[in-house]
Parts: sequence; C-alpha cells; structure tokens
Amino acid sequence: MKIADAIKIIDDNWVTKPKGFRVCMQRREGSEWVTDYSPGEKTAPLDSDVTTWRLAWKLAASTPLREGEPQEGDLVNLFVVDQDNNPVDYYSTGEKETFNACSI
Amino acid sequence: MQSELTAKAERIGFVLREYGAEMLQAMVILVVGLVVLQFTMRKLKVFIDKKTKDSSRANTILYIVYILLLVVIITSALITLGFDSRNVFRLIILSALAIIAALLVLRPYLPTLPFKVGNTVKVGALLGKIEATTMVNTRMKTFDGKTVFIPNSKILNDFVINYHFTPTRRIKIDIPIRHVRDILKTKQLMEAIMIEDPRVLLKPARPVVYTLNLTDGCVKMGARCWVNNTKFWLTQCDLLEKFLTRMERENIVLAGRRQAIRVFHETPLQLSGGDDNPGIETQAGPGAEAPSFSAVSDDDEM
Repeated sequence: MKIADAIKIIDDNWVTKPKGFRVCMQRREGSEWVTDYSPGEKTAPLDSDVTTWRLAWKLAASTPLREGEPQEGDLVNLFVVDQDNNPVDYYSTGEKETFNACSI
Repeated sequence: MQSELTAKAERIGFVLREYGAEMLQAMVILVVGLVVLQFTMRKLKVFIDKKTKDSSRANTILYIVYILLLVVIITSALITLGFDSRNVFRLIILSALAIIAALLVLRPYLPTLPFKVGNTVKVGALLGKIEATTMVNTRMKTFDGKTVFIPNSKILNDFVINYHFTPTRRIKIDIPIRHVRDILKTKQLMEAIMIEDPRVLLKPARPVVYTLNLTDGCVKMGARCWVNNTKFWLTQCDLLEKFLTRMERENIVLAGRRQAIRVFHETPLQLSGGDDNPGIETQAGPGAEAPSFSAVSDDDEM
C-alpha cells in the first residue's frame, strides 16, 4: 500500500473534519416550538467549535429556564451541530451536551 | 541708494501696469484651481473607496488623478500669464520624461518600504496593520487599538516581518507533561484535536506532534500545524484550550514548575512512601545528627 493510500484511509476513517458549526436550538413561537440555528442555515457556519459552544452557552445563560409555562422567545435544548446537522461533542467533556435541556 | 530703490519701484510699477491683469488672472486660476482640486479629490476618494476595497489601488488612482489635474491647473495659469502655450507643453512633456527616466534608472537604488498599505506587519516589537505611508513616516494601527507613527528610517534599519506575503502560518504549541507513560496518549489526543479542527490545513504539512525534550523532570510535547494567516491567533487559542481541557479529562498530568522544600528535624519523621509521596526521600541534613528528609513538592501543578 502506498503512503498516499494509507493516508486516505486514515483521513476517511480516523478523525473526521467538520466543515463548520452552528448552534441548534428550539425557540418558542406562540404555542409551538420551532427549531432554529445560529448562524442561520443560509449563512456560512462558524469555523470554531469553541466559539460555537461559547455562543450556545451565552444564549442559554441569557434565556434561563423558568418555572411554569414556556414564554414567547424562550430558547431550550441548545447544542452544537456540524454542517450535516449531526450533534458535536462538547470539547470540554468529550460528550454530548445540551444547554437548557428541556423535554418538549 | 535712493535712486536704485526708485528704479526698482519703477520697474515693479511697469511690470504691474503691463502684466498686472494677467498675473491677477493667473493667480485666481491657481488658487481657485487648487481649492477645486482639493474638493474634487475628497469627493473622488469617497467614490473610489465605495467602488473598491483595495486601498492600495485606490491610492494609486487618486495620486495619478491628482498629478494630472495639478498639471492642468499650472498649465492654465502659465498660459494666462502670457507664456507661449507650445513652450509650456514642451516644458511639461520634457519634465515628465525626465522624471520617468530618473525613476526608471534610480528605482533599484531607492530604498523602498517592504510592505503596502493594508498589510499586517511586525516592525521590531510592534505588530499591527499599516494604515498609511508618507515620505517621512509610516502610520500603523496595532491590534490593541493604538496608532503608532514609525519613522521610515527606523523601518529600513530594523527587521520587518510581513505576514501578507505568505498565506499560511504554522502554529506551535509546546506542553510539558509529567509522566512518560502519558506520551502516546498525549500524542494521539493532540493530533486528533488538530485534525478535527476545520481551520487546520493538511498542506503545506499535516498536523504532527513531537516528543521534544526530557528536562527538569518533564516531557515536553510539541504540536505543530498549519492554518491560514487570518485564522492563526484564534485557532492557536482554541487548540490550546482544547488540549488543556481534554488532557485534564484524560488525567494526563501537566508538569509545572517544581519547588524543592527541605525540612530538617531532630527526630526522624514517619512518612508513608509509595505513590502518595513519590518525591520524598531520606538524606543526612547538614549539622543534624538524626536523619533528615527531603521532600519535593508538586504544588505548582497546572
């Protein structure tokens, strides 16, 4: 096997390189929960998972879960996804993480 | 003496009587022309800045337009003053040719600044973006918001790093770890973190981790990877944060500064050895009859 072939196998199977990151969240609109992304799906994603997780944390900290009925504009279930909408591990814990986790 | 002054006054009076109107007209043309030129250049600069983001190209265009309009104003003033228009044009063309020839011949010998407006450069200890250059100094805006005027003579005599010439830069992060047993785990972890970062490039070289050195009781690991110039700083900070947080999670002990504390006792202390006190050893203290102990504390672990 040539080195180039070996490297191709490693690149394809060992560690995948995401192309970008977005914060995925659910937002209360009227009586419904709407899935939203930041940055939006029509704009370029962020290229840093650290920055994206920080954005998710700040959004969650700005809209903490309240007791009782959810209000208009509440943000829950914030986590980071890659360009294919797959959840990304939180780099700090190495596990899936969700801020403002809430069963809907 | 008085006759000389009278003669001069008469000559001036004669010139003013004969050519006063033309001189006044020429002066008006010159002053009004220069005022209009300044106004036009300001408007043109706003227009060009909107049309192009290349400030260097915009400055060149503005400079050429400024020279052409200035020549037109001076020519108009000279012709109004009574100069033969053909001679004026000849003089202008000859001057232009002489200047161009001089520039072509002398250009290789003229000292030039090793950057253009808009480049990010490091001059001596100053790092920032070049905002403007003049014949005397260069205006740089540093990344902490300061505007620095650097004499061109200092720039020409100091080392200059221009980050504009190469599109990529190499990130270098060295992390000392405590235990040899963590080398392979650390290498794998650091390499995986670099590869999975979208900003880390595979060319000109793939990310790599080296075991650099074994000194002061620690193993120094070195991570190297390439990124685009514009993403260098943030990527380096993100990678370092990810290295440290993930190493903490994997129980890889980082090596900090070691501090030795020697405690001498008259009577021997009973210390339990083993893994809990790996650095404790017995030795004879100076001037002490009873055995003493030397303990190496690891109080500065990161």
